[in-house]
Amino acid sequence: MVTLLLIIHSLLAVALLGALTHQAISVWWPATRRTGSFVSGLRSVPSMTYTNAIVLLFCLTMIPGGIVYAEYRIVVRIMLQDYRLHVPEGAFELKEHLVAIGLGLLPAYWYYWKQPAVKEKAATRAIVTTLIAVIVWYSFIVGHVLNNIRGFGS
Amino acid sequence: MTISRVFPVFSIAFAVIYIASVQYNLALFTYHPEPALWGPLVQAPKQGPAMYWYGWLATAALGATALAALALALPARPLERAAAVLVWLVPIVMIGVISYILRGYFLR
Repeated sequence: MVTLLLIIHSLLAVALLGALTHQAISVWWPATRRTGSFVSGLRSVPSMTYTNAIVLLFCLTMIPGGIVYAEYRIVVRIMLQDYRLHVPEGAFELKEHLVAIGLGLLPAYWYYWKQPAVKEKAATRAIVTTLIAVIVWYSFIVGHVLNNIRGFGS
Repeated sequence: MTISRVFPVFSIAFAVIYIASVQYNLALFTYHPEPALWGPLVQAPKQGPAMYWYGWLATAALGATALAALALALPARPLERAAAVLVWLVPIVMIGVISYILRGYFLR
């Protein structure tokens, strides 16, 4: 059951990472016109349409992650402490707090994307989007590293 | 629109209350993963580690909701102007604070 949840958590995280990365790129480096190239396509995604999906994916990713987290505390974390792997343990501690801050940011993120044409909110929208993207990237990498140390199938 | 204008206030308050909950352990409830038991407020570990993370999230959500509700009484324009900066600045500062709190893991 834990393995299945971990796979679901990872797959949802990949989808979230992709959507957020697309949105962050298009908000900082928007394409003036689409040329048909890969980079142009990457820059010219309709960012606004990603917003609800990103909020939903963030919450859906957290659910199996939150369930698996209990298993981490009683199996993986103890092993990290036994082997004195303080940096991976600390990196995961930081991940749990960053994800919590990211979760709290979602209402504001949604609010600033609700009116994308309002220019005075453009900078706030871009920074909040980037902040959430950084949190998700960090969480993805740390989760992946921890899983490689002691996770799937162990 | 009326309610959503305080969403940034919720996010700002959530970040601050969450970090305060972590630092001072203000969890609304505790989960004991080994026996799979939930308990109100902060409890000592029972047969294995105690988990406060869910409780910290609940504390932050409750506190931020209350502050956002209070912010509905404030004038919209100045609130929006202040929130436009604080909504990203406060979480960044809170990330700095939690990194400092956890520095022991990385400096051993």
